[in-house]
Amino acid sequence: MAATTRRNLLTASLAVAAAAPAALPLPARASTASDTAFLKSLGEQLVAVVNGPGATAAKQAKLQALIDQSVDVTGIARFCLGRFVRLATPQQLATYMQLFHGVLMRSVTGHLGDYQGVSFSIDKSLARDGGTLVYTTVTRPNSAPTKVEWLIDQVDGAPKIEDVIAEGTSLRLTQQSDYASFIARNNNNIGTLIEAMQKQAASQ
Amino acid sequence: MPAARRLLAAATLLLVLAGCATVPKDPAARAYYQQTNDPLEPTNRVFYVVNDALDTVLMRPFALAYHYGTPQFFQDRVHNVLANLDTPVVLANDMLEGNPRRAGDTLMRGLINTTIGLVGIFDVASGVGYPAHAADFGITLGVWGMPAGPYLYLPVLGPSSPRDVLGFGGDYALSPFTWFGKGYAMQDFGYARMGLTAVDTRARFLSDLDKIKAQALDPYATLRSLYRQHRESQIRDARHDAPASVPAWYPQPAK
Repeated sequence: MAATTRRNLLTASLAVAAAAPAALPLPARASTASDTAFLKSLGEQLVAVVNGPGATAAKQAKLQALIDQSVDVTGIARFCLGRFVRLATPQQLATYMQLFHGVLMRSVTGHLGDYQGVSFSIDKSLARDGGTLVYTTVTRPNSAPTKVEWLIDQVDGAPKIEDVIAEGTSLRLTQQSDYASFIARNNNNIGTLIEAMQKQAASQ
Repeated sequence: MPAARRLLAAATLLLVLAGCATVPKDPAARAYYQQTNDPLEPTNRVFYVVNDALDTVLMRPFALAYHYGTPQFFQDRVHNVLANLDTPVVLANDMLEGNPRRAGDTLMRGLINTTIGLVGIFDVASGVGYPAHAADFGITLGVWGMPAGPYLYLPVLGPSSPRDVLGFGGDYALSPFTWFGKGYAMQDFGYARMGLTAVDTRARFLSDLDKIKAQALDPYATLRSLYRQHRESQIRDARHDAPASVPAWYPQPAK
């Protein structure tokens, strides 16, 4: 009796395991290709906005819209807060998320002029940590080509940017160590980070 | 003199001991402390403040004057000449890392740029399939498996580690300029090279450092993280260089 149940269970689980890949919306390999296509299209749109005509303010608004739909801002914000995510009150977390969104937007749209004439090429892409790492070379006039890697993952069924790694330095890792050190030096008080971020937002 | 030296040694020891950070008791905080691996943080931060002040009144204004006072074309030529002077050290490290492909690139870079490129003024080699890459004795030690060790922030020199301090000494020993040529002309050449390297390096980081100081809440920690990640990625690149591949300029074998 027990043996039969076990065998039935085994058969059932095997059947589920066999059916699972077909049931998933995208097999792993296809998602590497589609993530790469996502980045290619996004990169082309970004380059078109940066190098295109129009006033700076209009360009910034366009960039902001692109970032909102293609970057996992909430995920990156949580990563950057690191171990303090668990220690923050819901109110603190909500305020932080809002401030972080502003920090990210300012750091991307604040130096538009530096990127005039930018172009990029995709070198290769690899599956990594359940997502895709797309290797690109970004070229700007009058400066050496920069190697930039983009970590892309599926969030709620849509591809989103999770990290940008420029010349081997990860954006979210660097930001995380900045926040962690700041909070640690202020008696592990998350409130001081929020105050500092508010002050920074007001001064820019 | 010995007394003065003893005093200096004692003062240094005191500074280092006084500068040791206390290990936190909270497990999460302790994990963070171990991860940052910066037990000398209080001392390091003192040097950071000193360097930052020196930079504000001395190095940054120099770099700004150089950046805005001379044409970009001139700056690129100066950078190329300085990079070309490093070729022997880069070549030696490529070989020590066991990277024959990179060593070949460096040898060709040196030969082409020193002759056709007019003592390195023009980087002709990059255009014909011999791109530049980073190699120094710190990277070599990393490739050999030596850990970076605790973070160090040195007076004048800035971000470093015991491995990179050793690397600095190693590169000095590997440079032919250390051993060949004596006299006032050589000495002046050495000083000029050192000064130009300092200005060139600082000028290349002008906008990046300004951005970090403006945007980071703790620029010291941000620099620490950036420095470490950058060094690790350079070591990864040196370790995973494909030594048996066919150079881009050579007829490709049929696949």
